[in-house]
This record gives sequence, structure tokens and C-alpha cells, in this order.
Amino acid sequence: MRLDEKFSAIKKGLLEFLVLKIVAGEKVYVADILKQLSATEFSTQEGTLYPLLSKMRREGLVDYEWKESDAGPPRKYYELTAKGREQLRETLDYWSRISGTVKNLGQK
Amino acid sequence: MNKVITINLGGTAYQLEESGYDALRAYLEAAGVRLKGNPDRDEILSDVEQAIGEKFRTLLNNFKTVIVAAEVSAVLTEMGPIEDDSGAAGTAAATGGSGGAGAAETDSGARPAGAPGAAKRFYRINEGAMLAGVCNGLAAYLNIDPTIVRLLFVLLTIFWGTGLLIYLVMAIVVPAADSPEEKAAAYGAPFTTQEFVRRARAGYYEAMRSFPDRQARREWKRRFRQEMRGWGILFHREMDANTHQWRYNWHRYWGASAPTGVGFALPLISVLHGALAIAWIATLNSLLATGALFGVLLPAGMPVWAAVLLLLVVYGFLVWPLKAARRAFYYGAFGGPRWAWPLVCAADLLVSLAVAAIAVWLALRYWPQAREAIHNLPPVVHEAVDNIKAWWARK
Repeated sequence: MRLDEKFSAIKKGLLEFLVLKIVAGEKVYVADILKQLSATEFSTQEGTLYPLLSKMRREGLVDYEWKESDAGPPRKYYELTAKGREQLRETLDYWSRISGTVKNLGQK
Repeated sequence: MNKVITINLGGTAYQLEESGYDALRAYLEAAGVRLKGNPDRDEILSDVEQAIGEKFRTLLNNFKTVIVAAEVSAVLTEMGPIEDDSGAAGTAAATGGSGGAGAAETDSGARPAGAPGAAKRFYRINEGAMLAGVCNGLAAYLNIDPTIVRLLFVLLTIFWGTGLLIYLVMAIVVPAADSPEEKAAAYGAPFTTQEFVRRARAGYYEAMRSFPDRQARREWKRRFRQEMRGWGILFHREMDANTHQWRYNWHRYWGASAPTGVGFALPLISVLHGALAIAWIATLNSLLATGALFGVLLPAGMPVWAAVLLLLVVYGFLVWPLKAARRAFYYGAFGGPRWAWPLVCAADLLVSLAVAAIAVWLALRYWPQAREAIHNLPPVVHEAVDNIKAWWARK
């Protein structure tokens, strides 16, 4: 429980990275993203995700297209832009360096 | 027994218990406050509304048509509070296109409350108008600053008086928003054309410059074509809805004068249509020759063909009301036997040609500059063709 609290800021920061990863896989809409996250420690809600996605779109990392759904109005399907792909690659690099540091530091 | 309130979320009607409605409204209002200053506030809010609507839909079936208060609060808990930490930092980090989006924020505050789901329609808006409210209404329709629209019209007027022409046409054809419903529609939810403007502004088309390989380029092209086809359909639907809404006003104001209107107004409309077409061709020529619109450079990263496309959309947008008005005049006057429509069109064309011929003849007789201009016409045409050829070659 305590650990969860300690990591809340880090988890919040990592969310954008994870969304990049999920969107990179295939075209997804918001409910898909939530579902993929729900099984993990990063489970989140629409109220957080919509503003985050709009910020990422504004920064040119993701874009969306409207697609018909079998029931109800069309949905926004998100995908990565070229810039988003580049960002994901850099972040993955950075992440593996960090986790390497975490693993190796302090060992003789 | 509880009172039920019908609401509109993303274009679908839902019936809510009254206390559930209050909870939903409080949630959306809080979200609106939380997102204050976010350039995408309206878009996020409509996304959220649609998401709530989808959750409601799963709760309903043939035998259950009302959403009770407990279900509303469960859905809202599931949605979670709107968390927006991007705020000012996000805007600063965003590059290029979003700068203009911030300005769009200012006028949406004036939107009449209680109409979050009203479909947007193009009306003249007289409140805060300078002349007939055309620019004001257009700005609300496209969700941009009225000052920008006014400037654009002034600029267009300087170049061959096109702006004045367009303004007059719209002031006549587009009705003013009088009733509260019409006002709500004038400020309604965003729609297709606005999305087009947003994408153009956000440098969407820049992406095609940085393709890693051929495959990606082909894929992008395919998607683009598909998207454009979708745009076309949406645009037609949008404009049809607009004219459908206007028709009521036309009947009210012009219904009595329709029979005489046909004889007089139809050719007039055709002449205006022709003038717009000539202005459009001249604009296109200027664009192809200089790569700029009347000396104003295109936004960085916007290729010429995208500008041509944009011009095409603008032209369609301007000409549509004329066409619709023509049709409305005809059907309003005769009750419209369908088979006679081509005949009317032909007669109309003849009259317009005659009017144009008379105008040219008068100009030739009494106006030396016009004579010169018409003498120079063939070289001008040659030049236009050369421009297009040169542009192709550069491509």
C-alpha cells in the first residue's frame, strides 16, 4: 500500500509512455487502451486518458481517424505519427538505460 | 415515481432520472472548469460526452429505456474526474499549429448554456455584428475569431471585390438566427468543416514529407483518398442539413414573392454564381503562379495541392447556398414538377448569358479599360495554362 503511494507520481509520468506503446501496436480507441491498462498497475480512467490523448495529439505524437462502429456513433481510433514513433524509440532506449542503472547500481 | 429528463449526448437521446441529470450536469460543468485554458477543451468535453453516452447505451434495452440516478453515478465514478495537468505547460510545449487554436477558445464562452448537443448550423448572428452578421455567424460556425473572418473579407474585397460579392450573397441567402433554437444551432457542437480547418492548421499534411519508404507513402495516399471520400460525403450531408434548416426562413420571407422571384432572382443568382467561379479561377491561377494567395505565403509545410484542395472546399462552401436558394425558389414558386427543372435551368442559363453579353457590350462601349482587358484576354488565358504546366513540371 505504502509502495503504491510512493510510486504514484512515477506511474503518472509513465502513463504517456505506456499509451505510446499501446497505440503503436494497432489502431485503438479509448476503451481498448483502458482495457489493456486495467490488468496492470497502471489502471486508469477516461477522465485522465482523454486530456492526456488530446495533449499528445497537440504535441503531434498521435493522430486519430473516425471509424464507424457497429453500434452507435463513429469512434476516434488513435495511431502514432512519425514523430510519435520516434519519441517511442527514444523513450524505450532511455527506459532500458534507466532499468540497467537500477539493476547494476550498488552491485560490486 | 420520478421525473425523467431527455438529454442529447453525441447525437443520441437518452432519458435520465432528474437527480441523475443533475449529477451529470455537475460532472460536466466541473470538467469544463477543470479544462479551462486547455486549447482542446471543447473537443475533450465532446469526447467525454460521447464516452458517457456509450456507457449509457450498454445499460439500456427494449424493456429498459430510462437510466436511473444510481446508474448515472456509477458511470461517472467509472469515468473518474477529469485530470488535466497539461494546462499551460502543454500549450507551451506544443509546436506550430496550436497557437491559433487558443484564440478559438474565447468565443465559445458565449455559447448559450443547455445546448451542448445541438448540431451546428450556419446562420447570420446579429448580436455584436458590424453589418449583417455574416462574418459573426461564419466565425461561430468555423469556431474562429470573428476579427479574422472580417479581415479576410476586407482582404478579399481589395482583390477584385470578391469579398463584397460573397458578403452580399450570404447576407441575402443565409437567414439570421432569430429564435432561441436557431441561436443555439448557430453556436452548436463542432462539425466537419471545423475539423478540416483544425487539421490544416495543425500541419497534418506535413507528415507526408517525412516518409521512410515507398510503402509508407503508398499507404498514406490510400488513407488520404479514403479520408477525402469520407469528407465529401460528410460535407454534402452537412450542407444539406444547413439548407434544410434555412428553407423554413426562405418560405417565411420570400414565400409571397416567389413567383416574381423566379423571373428575377434566378438569373441574378446565376450571374453571381458565374462571378464567383471567375474569382475562384483567378485565385487558383494566382496560387499556382506564385505559390502564395495574393502575396500571402501559405503556412509552412502546407503543399500547394493541399491549398488547392482547401480552395475547392471554400468554393463549394460559397456556392452551395446559391444552388440551394435557386432550387428553393423554383420549388417554392411552382410547387416543383421535377421534370421541368432542367428546362428552368436551361432558360436560366440563356438569361444569364444574355445578361453577361449585355454587360460586356456596355463595358466595351463605354469603358476603355474593359476594351483593353478583353483584347488581352487570350494572353491571360495562355499565361494561366503556362502556370499550370510549370507547376506540373516542378512537381
